[in-house]
Amino acid sequence: MDEYAGKGPGSRAEIAAVERLLRETETVRSEIRKAADSVDWDALPGLIADRALAAEGPKARLAPAPRPLAWLAAFRMRPALAGLAAGLVVGAAAMYFAVKAPESRSGRDDAYFASGEFLDSAEREMARRNTVDYLEKSQFMLLDMFEPAGGEGPVAAAALRSERARDLLQKKKYLNTQLGTFQMAKAKALCDQIEMLFLELSQVDDELTAAELERIRALIEDRQIFLKINLVKKELQSGV
Amino acid sequence: MRKTVLIACLVLVLGLGQAAAVRAGVQAAADESLFREAKLLVFDKDWRAALAKIDELIDRFPTSPLAGQALFYKGECLSGLGGRERDALRAYRSYIRLDDAKPSLVEESEGSIVDLAFDLYEGGDDSALREIESRLDHANKVIRYYAAYKLSLVSDKKQAAKAAPVLSRIVETEKDPELLDRARIALLRVSPESLKSAEERQPRSGSRARMLRIRIREGGSKEPGFSLNIPFALADLALGAMDEDDKAAIRKKGYDIAKIMSELAKSKESILRIAGNDGSIIEIWID
Repeated sequence: MDEYAGKGPGSRAEIAAVERLLRETETVRSEIRKAADSVDWDALPGLIADRALAAEGPKARLAPAPRPLAWLAAFRMRPALAGLAAGLVVGAAAMYFAVKAPESRSGRDDAYFASGEFLDSAEREMARRNTVDYLEKSQFMLLDMFEPAGGEGPVAAAALRSERARDLLQKKKYLNTQLGTFQMAKAKALCDQIEMLFLELSQVDDELTAAELERIRALIEDRQIFLKINLVKKELQSGV
Repeated sequence: MRKTVLIACLVLVLGLGQAAAVRAGVQAAADESLFREAKLLVFDKDWRAALAKIDELIDRFPTSPLAGQALFYKGECLSGLGGRERDALRAYRSYIRLDDAKPSLVEESEGSIVDLAFDLYEGGDDSALREIESRLDHANKVIRYYAAYKLSLVSDKKQAAKAAPVLSRIVETEKDPELLDRARIALLRVSPESLKSAEERQPRSGSRARMLRIRIREGGSKEPGFSLNIPFALADLALGAMDEDDKAAIRKKGYDIAKIMSELAKSKESILRIAGNDGSIIEIWID
């Protein structure tokens, strides 16, 4: 501004005007700061939303009576109003919840219907979830048998183990169809291997001998079943 | 002299008995070992090698207690090999007929028969469908349910609809959520009206089953291009089944669809409307 000052009387007049404007702006700014300090910004959006939603139609639409320092009130409200306005615009454009009596819609089409494509997608999703569930349950059962908490024998009794194995075999039957249809080959291969273990366990009504237990444990270790379960589970959970 | 002969006979009898016991022990070890090897090959899906071991076991040790169980694994191998479905069916049927067949393996064999019959039917052998239909009134509900589920998937919708009574029964009486969802989806495929009646009859839903409705309209169109009316119980699955691109688009707009659904479910009478930039409108509501 000092460089600009030496360039003639016109320039000096301009500078004086700019300086006056800056002083006035500074006055307004300090007023705004004072006003802003008096506002509870955390509570304000909620307060405005409450009042906006509770507004009684016709009254709310009336223009408010002119009040002194009304412009200041607008300034004070600006951040919240801007947020509210933006929210309303975006909300109105994108989504709204409206209270509707169900009767007004029902009766028009009360029958169930879904396209074959949708049902395929739903079944694919079901296959993904149920395979994760199957793998988790299998993992728990095998862990109980081979890595029991106390370091001794399996926690579950032989009869219970046999029953659980049968339950998992039943689940697997349904999964077979889905895993085949939806080309989840990696998951199917692993589930098939686990199924073979459960076929063995489902037939054992008495406690397994130490030798049998060791044979199955070695098989699980050798084929890295636990590692495979974790990997396939992660893939399915992340939707890969 | 007589005493000597008697002692000699006794020694001979004892010796023969001992030899027989040793022979039986050796056989037991041999058939067990063969069976173990076969099962290991089945575990690794080496069907041909496993089948060879099983056939060897049945041929060499026909009286072995393992020979019966071997029939089940023979069915597994033949089924795994592909192209030998009828041989596999025979093996499973033979196993089921055994007096000492294990219940768990019988259930598995029945399930495999249903699967094989399904494949044969879809491959053009119409008579194979009888194997599935005949199991719709099986005494064991595990087998009955599976037959109905599998029948619902056959391409001939008229045949598939025969599964509806059993599937409806599952919806009305079963508690297992996995089984229920499967039955609901199967009924939506073959007989949506049966699902509606079953949902309304079952005690869980009261007099009127709640329904999730979705409509998607293209920009400027009054008629929806996509419509869906399904039991609310399947809502979670329906959302999970949404196309990944659609889910991403909704997330990008800042919506947590799971939260919105939970709100919709609570309010019972709200409607969610999402308008796309292209003028398309998605409406979701529950009533």
